[in-house]
This record gives sequence, structure tokens and C-alpha cells, in this order.
Amino acid sequence: MATDGVVDAVKRVGLAAGARVVGVAAAAAFRAGVPEGFRPEDILPGARSVVVAGGDGPTAGAWRCPDHRVMEITGYDLRENVAIHAMCDYIERELGYYAVQAPSLPVHGHEPPMSMMHAAELAGLGTRSFAAHIILNPEYGLLYYAALITTLPLPADPPLAEPACPHPGCAAMYKRIGTTPCLRVCPACLSGTMKNARIETSTYDREKCHSRAQTYGIGSFQKALLAVVDEDDPARRRDMIHSDFFAKSVQSLGFFRDSIAQCFECMRVCPVGRKHRKLK
Amino acid sequence: MTDERAPAKGDLVGPATTSATARLKALALKSGATVVGVADAAAFDTHAPSKHRPADLLPGARTVVVVGGAQPRAGDWVATSPWLLSTMGTTERIQGVGRRIAQAIESELGYYALFVPPGTAAGDAPFLSLMLAAELAGLGTRSLAGPILNRDHGFMYWSAVVTTAPFDVDGPTTDAACPAPACRDMWEREHTTPCLRVCPLDAGGCLAGRLDDGHAVRTAYDAARCNTRVHTHWVGGFQKVLEETLNEPDRERRKMLVYGDFMTRTLWSITYSSTNIAQCFECMRACPAAHGLKEMR
Repeated sequence: MATDGVVDAVKRVGLAAGARVVGVAAAAAFRAGVPEGFRPEDILPGARSVVVAGGDGPTAGAWRCPDHRVMEITGYDLRENVAIHAMCDYIERELGYYAVQAPSLPVHGHEPPMSMMHAAELAGLGTRSFAAHIILNPEYGLLYYAALITTLPLPADPPLAEPACPHPGCAAMYKRIGTTPCLRVCPACLSGTMKNARIETSTYDREKCHSRAQTYGIGSFQKALLAVVDEDDPARRRDMIHSDFFAKSVQSLGFFRDSIAQCFECMRVCPVGRKHRKLK
Repeated sequence: MTDERAPAKGDLVGPATTSATARLKALALKSGATVVGVADAAAFDTHAPSKHRPADLLPGARTVVVVGGAQPRAGDWVATSPWLLSTMGTTERIQGVGRRIAQAIESELGYYALFVPPGTAAGDAPFLSLMLAAELAGLGTRSLAGPILNRDHGFMYWSAVVTTAPFDVDGPTTDAACPAPACRDMWEREHTTPCLRVCPLDAGGCLAGRLDDGHAVRTAYDAARCNTRVHTHWVGGFQKVLEETLNEPDRERRKMLVYGDFMTRTLWSITYSSTNIAQCFECMRACPAAHGLKEMR
């Protein structure tokens, strides 16, 4: 097992490259909750550790913007991916162990080869929330996660003992009126119950949420393209092809990192990490 | 700059403002910007339409930090292949600097900062004009061809951050890069300039204008035509070729359209949108002010 000094050095590389938080999970920890074929060792033979980086989402200024369209295409650094590559390079070049970025884009339906949400949980960076099960970091709230898999045996960070969700304010609200800010703002997608200030049950309508969170994206392009191809009238087809909806769908494919999501309402009302959104 | 709110602990006031402005500018340059300037948010009010002003995007906005750079290199301009510039844009690099500046303002100074999205909400209207922002931040002036030209570095790409931080403001510059001395001479001799000659509106081009007492005056600009040339292979190109393909009744011709160079290059440009941002640079290629002052060997 590598020393604490080594794990600190790896984390420093990630933080210097732009990650807001970095945590480590043992590769073996994935076996308990992850089906075979989706575990770190299924991707990198001999995997011992998974290093997870969390990166910033929109700035506090973007959250504050009254024009909702700004958040739809606000633009992200996606620095967590850069941080992961910087740490991979460090592990391979300086320490001599294999390191790969964990694949996280879906390969079938919504299914990624490896879950970044689960990786973040196991690395002690956050816990699932009422809000579409988005992982919330107790300090920063919503972050974007990327991970690397390595044969380097690193001491793991324990999963969080105290969940980030529900926030004490939400627990108090639930006690008073039986709901939370996120459940109240989006009853169409979210539902859940709380017991003893802990999430008791939590479900969300993924298909409905997906169609709102990604109004413009691959799905909307496919939808619009099918409608265009099925339209027999050339004049109507022309209108559809040159419409804002189709143009924005195509733009979102090209400018993915500027157009990751179009609905942020459950996160907008979430108090976790809000202190970092209250500035001068 | 006026600020009616009483300063609170940690607010930037007096020398702290100057020091913070200098640190921010140093960070921008270190992060890859070639130039950086600060515009007064209120200065947009007289130029920009409602909904497209800094305070419309960020309540309480005081300043707009503008960074410029990532322009084509001197070698790009002199390259003989037209495909080099038409497949190698670099705007993404300056947008990364803008994002970094926004995060630094929030995490290090504690003021709100909004990275102005480079895209549009609908149609061609940007959230905030980056060209206007560059002008108001004193980083350049409009050229006869249209783009903002910096006096020292010429044509650049821009990114901006709207913030509530009261940075020291740079005023607009009166030292215009356009027309360049060589263009004034050419106007005296031939009553045209390099950009007007390379893309004349009355002969199928996009630009019309004149020089009055040595000052550039643009009289007409065909934005729609310019757009189809600058973005030949982009979202608009894809929409056009898709429509043409679906309207084509002949199966073999349809196959040719789908696998043709136009469709293929269009798909490349969409997926590599950050490195394939424009396909026509002719007015800037011909412009002596667009390439900066440094002589290359």
C-alpha cells in the first residue's frame, strides 16, 4: 500500500489541475454494489484504487442570472477531466503504475461502463440526494465527477458518515410541511419520504427528468431528425430543419460542454453548498 | 464608478481595488490571454439593447472583464493552404481563460462572476456583445471589415465575464487600428482598401465603406451572406445539406449527398466546433492591421 505521502501527492496534482475535491476509493469496494462487468477491474486488470475528482459547475454568478437561457448554455470548464488526466500522467510517469480515465459516457441507453456517482460516494466525496439522486458534496453541493482507475494501491477515503442530503434546513421543512425545497419545486420528477432526518425512500422519473434536463442534446436531435424525416411536405420540412429547436439541438452536439443541461431547478433551490453561492 | 452601497468588510475599496485589478489581469495573462481590460458595466447602457446589458445577466453588475487572444498565429496567416485556417480555429482557448477568470473572482475575491456564454439564446443575437465589450474595455476598435482590431495584436477572439466586483475600469481607446497607414495610402491611390477589394459588396462580396479624413466608415455589410461564407460547414451547412438530401428523390444522388465532402466536412465542423470555428478569413487575411505589429522571419 502506498504511503499517505503518495496519496497526498496524487491529490495535490489533481487539485492543482483544477479539481475542487479529490477522493480515493478501493477498487474492491465496488464489488458490493456494482454488477460484474461494470467494476474497475473489468476495465483495468489488476485495478487497486479509484481516484475521483469533483469539479465546479456553474459559477455563483450564473446561478444568480435572471435569464434562464444563460444557465442552459453557460459553459463549464469540465476541469475534473483535466485533473484526472493530470493524475493519470503523474501515476504512470512518476510512480510507474497503470492509470486510465474511467469511462463514464453511456454505452447502452443511459448506462455508463462505470458509475461516476457511485465512485464519488465510495471515495467519500458526497452522498445521493432527493434531487434525482444527484451526488451532493457536503461542502460544495453540486459538483461534476470524473474518475481514474489505477493499479496503484492507495489508502482509501471512507464514505461519508453523515449524508449531505437532507440538509438540516430541509429536514426542518419536511417536519413542518412534509416536503423539501427540491421535492416541492419539481413534484413531476421527484418524490420521496424522510424519517428521522434521513432519506427513507426516494424515487425520480428518469425519463421525464432527462427530457427536461437535456431539452437540447443528442435525444432532442434524434427526436427532431425523426420528425423531419417523417415529414412529407418539403415546405414544412424546411421550416422544421431551420427552426430554433433543430438548430439549437445541432449546436448542443457541437458545443456539448457549453450546453450540458437545460433544467437546474432542483439544484437551484438546494441549500447544500449554498454558502459558496452567496457572494458580494 | 458609483456605488451607493456602503462598503462591507472585505469589499474592494480604494487601493485594494487597484491591487485586485492588477492581480486579476496578471492571472488572465498567465492563463493565456494576450490582452485583458475592464469595462464599466453601465457603459453598455447607451449601446446595447435591453436584455443584452451586463445588469440584465447579473443583477448588481459593476464591471465586465474582457480577455482577448487565441488568434491565428503569424504562420497561419501566411500559410498557402486555405484549408489551414478553415479547419483550425482556436477560440476555445480564450473561452477557457474567461471561465478561469470567473472562478477566480468568485473563489478568491468573493464577488459574483458570470462567464458570458459564447453561444446565443436564439437566432444570431448574443447574450452580450463580446465585440462591444472589447471596445468598452479599451482593447480594440471596430474595423472596416467588422471585427474588433487590437492596436498591437490585430484580430483576436474574445471572452467576457460580468461581475459585481468594482474593478478599476479601462476606458475605450481612441487609437484605432483601422485604417492602417498602408490602407490610407491605398485609399488615396485607388479609392479602396484591402478588405473592401477582397470582398466587395457590389461584386458578390460582403463589405462596403470608405475612408473619411483618414477614418473608416462602413456603409453596408451583408451579414447573411458573410455568415454563409464564414460558417460554410457548420450548423447552417448541415441544415442546408440535410434539407437538400431529404428533397432528393433519386436514391443514388441522395447517397452521394450523404457521403459527399460537403456533408462530411459539415459533420467534422460540428463535432470539432471548437477547432473549426470559421471557414472564411479573407478580409482579415488581407488586412495589414489584423496580424499584429511583430515582424516574423
